[in-house]
Parts: sequence; structure tokens; C-alpha cells
Amino acid sequence: MVPHAMHEVPPESITKVVSGIVTRYHGEKRHLMRMLQEIQAVYGYLPREALEELSRLTGIPLVDILTVATFYHQFKLERPGYYIILVCMGTACHLKGNLDNYEAMRSFLGLGKYEKTAKDGTVTIEKARCFGACSLAPVVMVVSRDGKERYLHGHVTLQEARRIVAKYRALALRKMRGEK
Amino acid sequence: MVKVYVNDKPVEVGEGAHLLDAIIKAGYSVPTLCFFKEIYREASCRMCIVELANGRLVPACAYPVSEGLKIYTDTERVRRNRRVILELILAAHRMKCQSCPRKGGYCLLLDLAKEYGVEGIPVCAECPLHESECLLTKGIPCLGPITMAGCNSPCTREGTPCIGCRGPITRKDVLEEAAKLYLKYNIDLDELYSKMKLFWNNHPKLDYIYNVIKEVIKKNTKEGSLR
Amino acid sequence: MTWSLMDKCCDRCWHSPEYPCRHYIRCRLNGPLCHEDPECRKKRENRLREIMYGKYGFKIKVPMASCTIAAGAREVYDAVIKEVKSRGIRVDVRKTGCMGMCYIDPWIELVKEGMPAAIYANVKPEDIPKIIKEYLEGDVSGAFALRYRTGKAKGEDKVPLLEELEPWKNQVRWVSRNCGIVDPESIEEYIALGGYRGLDRALNMKPEEVIEEIRKSGLRGRGGAGFPTWLKWKIAREQPGDVKYIIMNADEGDPGAFMNRLLAESDPHRVLEGMIIAAYAIGASKGFIFVRAEKPLMAERLAKAVEQARKYGLLGENILGRGFSFDVEVILSAGAFVCGEETALIAAIEGRTSPRQRPPYPATRGLWGKPTIINNVETLAHVATIMAEGWEKFVKYGTEKTKGTKMFCVTGSVKRTGAYEVPVGTTIEKLVMEIAGGPPEGRKVKAVQIGGPSGGCIPASLLSTPIDYETLQKAGAIMGSGGIVVIDDHSCMVDVAKFFTSFTVAESCGKCFPCRIGMKILYDTLEKITNGEGTEEDIEILEELGDVIRSSSLCALGGTAPNPVLSTLRYFKDEYLAHVRDKRCPAKVCTRLVEYWINPEKCTGCGTCAKNCPANAITGEPGKKYVIDPSKCIRCGRCYITCPVGAVEKR
Repeated sequence: MVPHAMHEVPPESITKVVSGIVTRYHGEKRHLMRMLQEIQAVYGYLPREALEELSRLTGIPLVDILTVATFYHQFKLERPGYYIILVCMGTACHLKGNLDNYEAMRSFLGLGKYEKTAKDGTVTIEKARCFGACSLAPVVMVVSRDGKERYLHGHVTLQEARRIVAKYRALALRKMRGEK
Repeated sequence: MVKVYVNDKPVEVGEGAHLLDAIIKAGYSVPTLCFFKEIYREASCRMCIVELANGRLVPACAYPVSEGLKIYTDTERVRRNRRVILELILAAHRMKCQSCPRKGGYCLLLDLAKEYGVEGIPVCAECPLHESECLLTKGIPCLGPITMAGCNSPCTREGTPCIGCRGPITRKDVLEEAAKLYLKYNIDLDELYSKMKLFWNNHPKLDYIYNVIKEVIKKNTKEGSLR
Repeated sequence: MTWSLMDKCCDRCWHSPEYPCRHYIRCRLNGPLCHEDPECRKKRENRLREIMYGKYGFKIKVPMASCTIAAGAREVYDAVIKEVKSRGIRVDVRKTGCMGMCYIDPWIELVKEGMPAAIYANVKPEDIPKIIKEYLEGDVSGAFALRYRTGKAKGEDKVPLLEELEPWKNQVRWVSRNCGIVDPESIEEYIALGGYRGLDRALNMKPEEVIEEIRKSGLRGRGGAGFPTWLKWKIAREQPGDVKYIIMNADEGDPGAFMNRLLAESDPHRVLEGMIIAAYAIGASKGFIFVRAEKPLMAERLAKAVEQARKYGLLGENILGRGFSFDVEVILSAGAFVCGEETALIAAIEGRTSPRQRPPYPATRGLWGKPTIINNVETLAHVATIMAEGWEKFVKYGTEKTKGTKMFCVTGSVKRTGAYEVPVGTTIEKLVMEIAGGPPEGRKVKAVQIGGPSGGCIPASLLSTPIDYETLQKAGAIMGSGGIVVIDDHSCMVDVAKFFTSFTVAESCGKCFPCRIGMKILYDTLEKITNGEGTEEDIEILEELGDVIRSSSLCALGGTAPNPVLSTLRYFKDEYLAHVRDKRCPAKVCTRLVEYWINPEKCTGCGTCAKNCPANAITGEPGKKYVIDPSKCIRCGRCYITCPVGAVEKR
């Protein structure tokens, strides 16, 4: 289920990263959400191995960790694409047709019913909660999976939506090639 | 001690008690599904709801008593709400009554469904024949899996198959589960159909029921997956 | 380093967080208080002037809040810096927050001593050189509005004053007074405009007296429930034990509501001040600010404010020497709408999930079992302002039951989207039509959604309803946090109900049956109806199920979730009936109930639609016009979303 993770995350690094985080929070259950946020800040998502290591080091049952990880929307259990395209599902954006934009983007990438990420790992398309930029509805926000880049696009039309997907896909390809 | 009124009957309970304690002490009862004293008092199932004098519905298992509180355990509104919640539970419930360890008198869902008039549970839930005692395992065509419970299954109790006199269940998922059973135990579909015709001849969904079962059997026979 | 109002005027001043001076706040503006020295006094006065007009008597303010940044404020800021550098202009360029008139984003303000402060709207980076040039030449004719006139600038009679504009003159900027004026990252500017006076006054009173002042003001929680703030505080205060907590609920989750974000990004010290006052009133020594993950700038600004307050001894041990110790931690939520609910918020901080049955209420047993007060961002902003201005000023506005003002975000089909603050009791009509300018040309208001996914839709016929907790409840909506979405005649009310229901289904925590299963069935039934497969029996199911979910759910999320469905059924039954009886969507929104047609004037003959049609209902040849066969069309809408030129139309 997590093929990307297996290739991208060296196992030695997981122990080092997680134990560093656990030490800082004394492994206390009350800091569970924060520890998970820090793990996600490193990998861009929560690798299963990291959660298992977290459970091992803190003694918090894995089921409790997964309860929190699957409950809150911010946590991702699958590695996202280089860019994550967030389509705002706020009221104003919905009334201005953002659902059509969402479908158009997915169709443009040829995503299957339960797929969210393009097969080449460039972009992920997700529905997002309201950003509070309602005057620019319909709004689409694009963030890089390392959290460093953030771009907000307003007044997005169907054509613009497709252009956004194409643009960030191309950008991701260039950056990913540069990465290697 | 705190005095509260259950269905206008005064009763005294300890300070930290909950409405449920008062209700039981006063000699009344409310259904509970998720409540498990000292282990689970989170009021998730909402079946134990009772009505306060101001009209608010609160869960008896988790709501604390306070002096002079008036609660009503069986108003029309309470009953209506409990019925609908039960329908919701059953709508999301995977009904595999034929193989359920709680069949034959230990199923609280069935008891509640009978009390609140909710239909959809098959006769298998009432039938006391467990596992190898089940008539289906002996190749006998029994309509239990697709007939509405409520009779306390006198026929199967005596060893004779259910003949469907209470009427069919038309819920697709129940029919599909039943079809898998019929396939597993090699029950002849045509024999089953002739039994269905006995009491369901004039039922508008008779053919629908037959077709759903036939489709599932056909699908699983071709793939050879269920044998 | 520039000398700041926060610093000591001379060596006679001994204030520090470790050895705080009781008069520190008052001294910032009126000082020095402990000694006479015209030099020290002058120093303060000069600095105040600098804050008003900038170091060189010329200031350019660029609002940097999430909404303005989204509209391009960063590029405008960079253009301003570039221009002033290249022309060697001596000017103070400062960030401010947003004043709520989102429809003019991005805007900038120029103020020079002697000149009117001029606001320029919808500014593009390339306009900057011209704007600055003209302003420096004394010409304000290109401005959108002026804050005041001085009689010395060219064209100032032609430009309206801000307070003369429709969207502004009906507002009462009680808590939003500093938004768009101060630099949100400067505690000094907040203090220069009278900030932290409220805290100073509160610390001079007993905690019970603070509670009494809030009681006299009649302040009701602005987060949605409208519970009297003083009463909640009193209950917590009277609980036994030394450990108590206060939590600022900055988890503004309603789609279409951004008042809290605006306040926290534009005037964070005000809400922080309110929090410190609240902590003092209830006897809390630790506070948490719980911010939504989706609003990172909000979290940043609040965290910075906390840091600054700590630096000058307004947070920490023995605040202002009054023996009261209190500190704050900012926590980022991980994204869950239900966290706006008190007990779920507490669960999130504790590292768990899901709300719990109340009573006991958090005020008696909350975070880690201790008495906990949870107040909304806007409520705390009111607390600070009431303590500074006095309860008498607050009660001048509002209605019998609810005093004061409230911020509302008006979005959707209006000309002037924005966040506006008005006295409670203002009619919906005034807010939507006068202040927000009503719908754009050619559209009519059909309904107004108030209270987000927990609220209801009020039809256009009831626009004269005054906005108050009880009046809205009677009409089938709720005040909520103040998000108002204007729905026009191009929207389908059944689709709107379905939209809000899908939101609640996704956000339901799953703990109780009515909400977890019931809302999903509600959604499935609505989907059936919008797909043209609904029956009149389905409408009855919606009514009954909606009522059961509303009355038996465990928390307020489930308790209010059916409101959009119930209120649209109440006022727009005819639309539902059209969907089930005639299989028609009057507003032409529901995909399956709409006829798709290729407009031959727009069609370029590319054939994308035909390639994507799963029913082979589109015929044509490359280069020629394509046509949909309505008898084969299954109304999936794929042609509509894949056409590259928008030639497929709905009718």
C-alpha cells in the first residue's frame, strides 16, 4: 500500500528522526498530535514505519496513534505528489463552481475513482477546507509537499484549473529531475 | 441524596448518580446498547435517551442527576427517536444472523426491533439452531434467511424449515447474504422459489427477490469462488 | 536601533519583566510618571508622531493579511520598496492588517503629515510609481477614499471620505477599530493606539469586579452559542482548585467565515489582551491558543504577539507587579471541523479525538479534568475593548437581549465581499444590500445562509429580520460565528443543502449513531433527489431523519447538521418537489437534471467532448460542429467539464 515510502525513506533515518522528536516531547501522549505534525513536517506525510517506531519508543498503542492520524485531515498516510493542489470546498467557492474545477482537474490527469495522485508522482489533487479567502472564490491553493512553497490562485475557471494542473505538473517534473 | 421524578414518580438517588440509576430504582427501564458500567459511559448509541421537562432529549446513562429534575422515559417523541435510531443501526449493520453466536434469543437488536416495530431482521436471528444444527447445512430449503423475524421461529424450533408466513425481507444486502448461504449449502433455487410462492405469491417484490438471489448465485458460481 | 515606546525613557526607569512596574502601561503614553522630565516627555511625544506619520513624516502602509496576500499584496509591497529605493524617497513602509473590505484587495494607504491619509484600491505593482508620484505632488484625485481631509491636497473634495462610503458608514468598528491601521506585528503600535489599557484597568480591580463589569456589558459569546460570557467565567472561578485553564478557540472552521482570522492577523494583541484579562478573571495560570492548521498566518501572528507580550512582561510571572502569573502556548490543530466544539477541542489538545457528552461542562471539568474556559477570538477581542472603554459604551449598541456589535463575513453573490462589524439587531437586508452592495448585475437574492454548515437558509422574503440569536433561531437559522453567504437565483437550494450535508458527513467524528449513520443517509437521499431518482417519500424521510439527528446527537455538530436541509425544506419545498415530481432542477444546477447543449457559436470542433462521452451521445467531425443527442445523453456532465473552450452549456 505504500510503495513510494519503501523506496524513498531509508529505514535508518526513521529511527533517528522519530527518536529525536520523541525525546523533545518526552514521549508524552498529550503531545501526540504535535509529534505527528513534526514527523509529517520531515517526510511530507506519515510513513507507516515511522508510526510503528513512534509506538515502540513511546509505548503509545499503535491503534491510538492511528486513531489520531486518521481522524485529523492534515495527516496524510500516503506520500503525496511533489505539489499538492488543494481545491477549496468552502461555501462561496462551491457556489462559484469549484466542484466542477475539481472534477475537471481529476479528469485532466485521468485519475481513477479512488486515486488522488498522478502516476508519475508529480501532483496530488485534494479537496480542502475553507482558506478564508472567500472574496477570491473559487480558490485553489498549491503547496509543495515539503511545505516550503505556497501559491494561492483565485477566480479559477475551468480552463484555468486545467492550466494550473499542467503548470505544476511540469514544474514538478523539472524539480524532481533536479532532485535526482 | 438527590430527588428526581421519573415519569412523575419521585425517587431518591445518591449525589453522583446518573439518570439511568434513578430510572432503574423507580422501577422503569430504558434500552441501552453501548453502556457498560465502569467501562463505557460515553453515550454513543443514543438509545437510552429520555425527555426532560423542557423537551430536551438527553442520554440516561451519562446525564447526572440534579435536585428536582423531571424525566420522561417513554414519550412519543422518545419512542419515535429510538425507532429511527434503531433503523439507522440496522441500516448499517451487517446482518449475518444465520451464523451469529447471538442468534436464538441473545440478540438485543432483535428484541429492540420487535419492541419498536422495526423490520428487516431475518428469522435466523430468532432461530435456536446454531451451526451444524441449522437446517440449511442439511440441504433443507429454509426461508429463514429471507423472512421477517417476529414469530419466534416455532417451525425451525420443531425441526421443520421456515415457510415464510410472516412475509419476505426485501433489503438487498440481506437477500445477497442469504443467496451466498443457499449457494454454499447447495439449496436448489427452483425448490426455493416454489416455497416462496406459497405465502408470497401476491407480493409485488417476489420476482425481485428471486432475481437478486439468482444473480448472486450465478455470479459466484461462474467465478467458483464460494464453494 | 530606534527607540520604541516600549523602552525606558531614561535610566530612572527600572521596569523589566523580572521587576515590573505597576504603571508600565499607562506610562507608555502618558509618561514619565515616576519623575518629571520634559526631555523624556518629548521623547514619547515624538515617537508617537513617528508612529502616526513615519520617521520622515511620510508613511506607506501595505496590508498583509491572508486575503490581501492572496490578491497580490506581496508583489505590491515589493514594488513599493523597489520604487522608494530607486527614487531615494525617505519613507516608512509598514505592514498593516486587513480592514475587511476584501473587494478592494490589494489596497495601500499613503499618509504624509499635512496631507490626507489616502487609500488606493485594487492596486497593481505597475500602478505604484504613479500613485507615489502623484501623492508626493499633493494630488489625491486617484484615491479610492480618504480617512480625513486637510484642505491642502489637490482633488480631495472629489474623493469621498471612508466614513461616507456605503459599506463603511453603517458599520460600528468596535473590535475591528485597529484592523488595517496598525502593524499587527508591533506591540508598540497597539499600545500607541491605547492598547493594553483594558488589562491595566482589569489588574487594578479584583477578579470578581472584572466579571461584574463583563456582566453589566451583557457580552454573549461570539462563537455561535451566545452564552453569557460572565456566567461561564463565574462558574469556572467558583470551582475549587488552583489549576484552571483558558483556551482561545481560533479554530474558525465555518466555510465562508473569516472574522476570527481577520482579527487575529490584523490586531492580534487585542485578542491576546482579552485572553489575559479572562485568565485573570477566572484564576487561570496557563492558556492555550488553538489555531486551525489551514490558517497558518493567523497562527504566526498570534505566536509573535505572545512572544512580544512576554518580552515586555505582559505575560509570565507577576504581570505588571500585580501578583498574577499567566503564560500562553500556541497550538496548531491538525484539521477537524469538530474541533470547534469545546470537548473535541479539549480532546485534541490532550492527544485524543472526539467530543464527549456534556454535562459536566468544561467550566467545571475540562482540559485534563480541570476547570477550563473556552472563549472565541471575537469574544476575547470584545473583552479587551470593554475593559478599556467601559461597559457603558458597549451597551449603547445592540438589542434588548444582545448588547454590542458583531463581525459578519458576507460572501457569495454580493458586489462587496468583506468582513463588516455592525450592531447586533441590524437587519440582514442592511448588511447584505446596503453594506455589501447586494448581488451583482442581473442576479437576484434567493436566500441567505447564516451560520455555516450548522446554520440555515433564510429566504429573500425574510431579509428584514434583525440579526440576533433568538430571531435567527426562530427563522430556522443560527447566528453561528457570523458567516453569511448570499445565494442568488443561479443556485439550487437542494444542491446547497446537499453541499452542507456533504461537509458535515465528512467532518462527523463518528462517535454517535444519529450523526454518523443518519447524516450519511440524509446525504444519500439528497443525492438520490438531485440525480432525479427521488420520491415524495424521500422528502418525508428527510424531515423525520433530520429531526431525529437534531434532537438526539451527542454534540452540537450533529445537533445542528440537519439545519441546512430542514430550513431549505421549510422555505423551498417547491424546489424539492420539482426535483422529485418533475425530475427537473429549476436553477439548472443538478447535473443529472439539466440538459446539456453545445453552443454552435462557441464550438471549435475539437471533439474532446465526444471522446469523453461515456454514452456515445455526441456526434460530429473534427473541424465541424459537434452535437449532443439528448435521447442518448445520460447527463453525466463530462462534456461540460472537459470542453476546453466552454462551449457546452446547461439549460
